[in-house]
Amino acid sequence: MALHLNLLHEEIAEQRQRQRDPLKIGSMALGGIGALMLLFYVFKAYQMIEIKSRLGSVQRDWAKVEPTVTAAQKRSAELTAIIGTTKVLDTIVEGRFLWAPLLQTLSRCVAPNAQLTSITGTVADDNKAVTLTMEGMAAGREPRAAAEELRQLLSEQLAQSYTEVKVEFNSLEDLDTLVNVAGANMAMARYVIGVTLNPAPPAAPNSTAPRLPKK
Amino acid sequence: MKGSLKKDQVQKLVLSGIGFVVLLYVYFSFFLGPLNKGRATAEASMADLQRKLASSKSEMSKAVSLDGQAKTATARFAALKALSPEGAPIAWFPPRLKILFANEHIDKATVRLDGSTPYKEPEMADWNKFSWVIELPQTDFATLGKVLAQLENNEPLLGISRLNIRVSGDDPQFQQVNLSANSTLLK
Repeated sequence: MALHLNLLHEEIAEQRQRQRDPLKIGSMALGGIGALMLLFYVFKAYQMIEIKSRLGSVQRDWAKVEPTVTAAQKRSAELTAIIGTTKVLDTIVEGRFLWAPLLQTLSRCVAPNAQLTSITGTVADDNKAVTLTMEGMAAGREPRAAAEELRQLLSEQLAQSYTEVKVEFNSLEDLDTLVNVAGANMAMARYVIGVTLNPAPPAAPNSTAPRLPKK
Repeated sequence: MKGSLKKDQVQKLVLSGIGFVVLLYVYFSFFLGPLNKGRATAEASMADLQRKLASSKSEMSKAVSLDGQAKTATARFAALKALSPEGAPIAWFPPRLKILFANEHIDKATVRLDGSTPYKEPEMADWNKFSWVIELPQTDFATLGKVLAQLENNEPLLGISRLNIRVSGDDPQFQQVNLSANSTLLK
């Protein structure tokens, strides 16, 4: 058997040692990971560019319609405000108490033998109650009866236009003085009538007549 | 020394490890971080714009339909607004009422401003409630009724809150009238 002498043993061992050098292996691994990280970064950057491009397109679309939309929104807000204000104004207009019809009713109720010397009326803040105080004098053989007649007529006439009508005497007293009415001396009474009413009109009577049972 | 690392190699390895960790930190914090943040911002902006674009059509159709619906309200609002000319109400409101009374031969009428209060409703931010004291020294009942009817018809935003009619002096034919009225007018 021939003797085999390896004269390069040390050199080969050193070469193997160099090949298994952990620093070299680590550097290679680091380089690999760095390359992967770079690739991933490039991929992400590409995605970012794509999203920016889409965003730019959407922004251009929005820039085209934005003036119209803003104008439409402004107009909507303006109209909504106008509708709201008109509603409140309508409530004010429709909620107020009208005195002219009331005075007309009063003028129809006062007979020639009755006189009103003062009328004071107030409307509650919520427009749901009207209070009237009427002072006056009535003349006649029975002046109290004349005043009572006025009270009843007021109650009847006001109830046709208003609800919760209350007409009451606050005071009614005979006077000593006599007054000449149509050539005849008549006794007099002074009265103060208090009226409270709700301005809401009474409910309209049901127009549909009840059906009569068939005979 | 076969199979084991030398001291300087261990040092290099430790330093390389530290360097690797630093590299990772720099990569994620200064490279990927801003990129992800920018992407998230862009996506949010895009979603917002797309939502706006989608709602813009409904906004525009809503405005058009509202325009149609609000025609009556707009006309009514314009008419009510026209009742308040420009300028301070105390400058034009009393003369307007005095002309109305004078047309019915009620002279020497006085109209005084008693105060003004703003409305609580947010819709009425531009409007004020003005309180007026109106004095008619001499009028007859029928004329008063007529002029009140005219006043209530011509001034829809005026409401009389208090009325006092009493005999004027010795002549029972004439009455003295005091009115407290509230009118809603533009500021």
